[in-house]
Amino acid sequence: MAFAAPDHGPGYSFTSPTTASAPKQHGFYPYTDNGGSILGISGADFTILAGDTRSTSGYNINSRMAPKLFRIGGEGPDATGARIILGVVGFGADGAALKERLDTIVKIYRYEHGKDMSVKACAQRLSHLLYGKRFFPYYTHAILGGIDEEGKGALYSYDPVGSYEREQCRAGGAAASLIMPFLDNQVNFKNQYVPGSGEGHDLKAREVVPLSRNYVMELVEDAFTSAVERHIEVGDGLQVLVVTENGIEERISPLKQD
Amino acid sequence: MNHLPQAWGRPRDDVYGAYNASFLPQDGPKQHTQSPIVTGTSVVAMKFKDGVVVAADNLASYGSLARFTDVKRLRQFNTRAVLGFGGDVSDMQHLDRLLTSLSLRENYADPGSSGDETDTASLDAKNLHTYLSKVMYKRRTDFNPLWNHILVAGLDDADKPFLASVDLLGTTFSAPSLATGFGAHLAVPILRRVAPDEAAAETLSMDDAVNAVKEAMKVLFYRDARSLDKYSIAVIRKDGVQLKEDEKLEGQSWAFAETIRGYGTQIH
Amino acid sequence: MTSIGTGYDLSNSVFSPDGRNFQVEYAMKAVENGGTAIGIRCKDGVVFAMEKLVVSKLVKPGANKKISTVDKNIGIVCSGLMPDGRHFVSRARDEAASWRGLYKAPIPTSALANRMGSYVQAYTLYSSVRPFGLTSILGGWDSEAELPVDGQVGSGPKVGAGGKKEGQKRGGPFLYMIEPSGLYWGYYGAATGKGRQSAKSELEKLNLSEGDITLEQGVKEAARIIYVAHEDSKDKDFELEMSWVSSLDGPTKGRHEEVPKALREEAEALAKKVIEGEDDDDEEAEGGATGDQMEE
Repeated sequence: MAFAAPDHGPGYSFTSPTTASAPKQHGFYPYTDNGGSILGISGADFTILAGDTRSTSGYNINSRMAPKLFRIGGEGPDATGARIILGVVGFGADGAALKERLDTIVKIYRYEHGKDMSVKACAQRLSHLLYGKRFFPYYTHAILGGIDEEGKGALYSYDPVGSYEREQCRAGGAAASLIMPFLDNQVNFKNQYVPGSGEGHDLKAREVVPLSRNYVMELVEDAFTSAVERHIEVGDGLQVLVVTENGIEERISPLKQD
Repeated sequence: MNHLPQAWGRPRDDVYGAYNASFLPQDGPKQHTQSPIVTGTSVVAMKFKDGVVVAADNLASYGSLARFTDVKRLRQFNTRAVLGFGGDVSDMQHLDRLLTSLSLRENYADPGSSGDETDTASLDAKNLHTYLSKVMYKRRTDFNPLWNHILVAGLDDADKPFLASVDLLGTTFSAPSLATGFGAHLAVPILRRVAPDEAAAETLSMDDAVNAVKEAMKVLFYRDARSLDKYSIAVIRKDGVQLKEDEKLEGQSWAFAETIRGYGTQIH
Repeated sequence: MTSIGTGYDLSNSVFSPDGRNFQVEYAMKAVENGGTAIGIRCKDGVVFAMEKLVVSKLVKPGANKKISTVDKNIGIVCSGLMPDGRHFVSRARDEAASWRGLYKAPIPTSALANRMGSYVQAYTLYSSVRPFGLTSILGGWDSEAELPVDGQVGSGPKVGAGGKKEGQKRGGPFLYMIEPSGLYWGYYGAATGKGRQSAKSELEKLNLSEGDITLEQGVKEAARIIYVAHEDSKDKDFELEMSWVSSLDGPTKGRHEEVPKALREEAEALAKKVIEGEDDDDEEAEGGATGDQMEE
């Protein structure tokens, strides 16, 4: 560097080093948390993704209508005919960038192969996208939904660096810790036992059965109305996407704005 | 004088102390912007039934110094989009040049037919916001951010009012009313009272929107120490942009100041 | 062709014994067969017009524009080899962009003419390249307003150091023509291409040096001149392409744009009327001969 003081040998000073103190810390932090929550539940022949529509910065509400759920693939900017849905919470800009990349990849797959990408393939690709930025991660919790090759509802959830798993249900984002235990109990019947089936360890767990779509919708709404009560970053609107073999249905309903 | 040529002509350390090299650039990783220098404060904007109104004051501060008092922070991009910049002024200038070259290239690619029809060739506000958000996100990802929070106000491809924001992290969002910086705390509540949601904004008259924004600017001037009572205001509608860059806040009332105790030299 | 190069015409970087660069002269030949292009420097702007010969009925009317914009305020019309023209314009746009990159302001028309002149000239120096088969008319309106540098945010001091000088004259209309040799001059009116001779004599009649022709008059004259210049190749159909650039308070607000359809058609109708009037005169004089058709 042209103006730097000599860093070896005798410099201008003979008593103390001429270089300044420790290099300045980076003052720029490239992440923020935009709050919000999402959840996904897969059924026998459908997958539901839901998310609130609030975007926050600290205690500020940026917007009451900032959807976190997206259609992936299909045709054109509206993703017409898509069969895959993605939910992303965490750092909004990373979420948008991730969605944009995945969407492009799925669209190009269709141009190149003349058929839609399977959810399974898309799920693995999403993992690779996340892991590809392992050392500067997308600060997001992603949930991917669709219909698998057997016509069953498919749901995949991810951590920020691409670790993923197919599940029955998953909550992500700000209120994940509030919603997830509710889902464990109500979807996978955790801690539910058949009455009178025994004492202590002999108790029989309630059998897990696929839930109907209407019932799942009720669970989703209950989960969010409850989360809104207890988490300040969740509220304003509830966006629900349902994928079936017939396509994607969307519904947006109000949540409390406080 | 000693035998070391490096020290010739230098003050003696034992008399004057060692040379303080702390101001010199450090070796090591290339330094990018770590903080803004000359800054603009809030930008305030809201949609109404057939357009958008956006305002920002004309001050550029250097820390707590009111350094430049005639700085125009609203930039008209074309007849369909106006940008409002908060944050670093030199980064704003950089973006302005970037957008100038973008619009020149767009015009080369498709000059449109002059005068005869409406100019569909130029980018609309939505296009511009998408472009800017990608520029901003790229720069944050490179750890070399453009230290701004920008509001993009104008019309989309269907000539519907469009208002969205992008910041130095590349975060984007859209709402019927938006404000950056201090305005996010002080102006947004005022604007949301006037138009709490899209439906309300779709029935709001231009005058009501302009008045609400002016009121918000006034409150900001009262409470934001880095603000000015000279401001710029723009209204974007289908029939074009009306940009005023030399407005003065009207109807100020400092009566409340009399009642404030505890900061000054008053006795009681 | 009158001159035979006797070997001195094979390379760009070789002079003939009598001091000629034959490659450049051949390039000028390429221009002589191009469509007529003209530029008129009016008091409040510049007009460009181009005789665009219809090469095929399969080409969409109005497509493939030949007059191009550089930056916002400069127009270029070329006669000669079209691909060379495209490259020339592309280079001009790069020059304008690089000027902005360095000076944070639009390139003055004179500076662009200078740079493009140098660029064309460089193609007469090396054996590895050929000259441009192109004569370009380049003109624009340099803003008369005190322009801020790109991105400027304030207006600066009102008095004292850095203060404004009242009544200072800036900008105005400029017109240049660049030839294959790299030679460029500023013009009141410029013409090139097949019909340049008659176009030039028509331009001379306008007394452009007195500088009192308005832009609107210029548009009408330009249309007429292209029609006049076309008289010698009447058998071929052509389209008239016209563009203009006015002062900031003029019709184009300092931007180089295509002349609006309505005005162009008005000017064309007027031009046709004038031409037909002249034909009637000719008929009276020559006894109604249709000489042009008979050439075929």
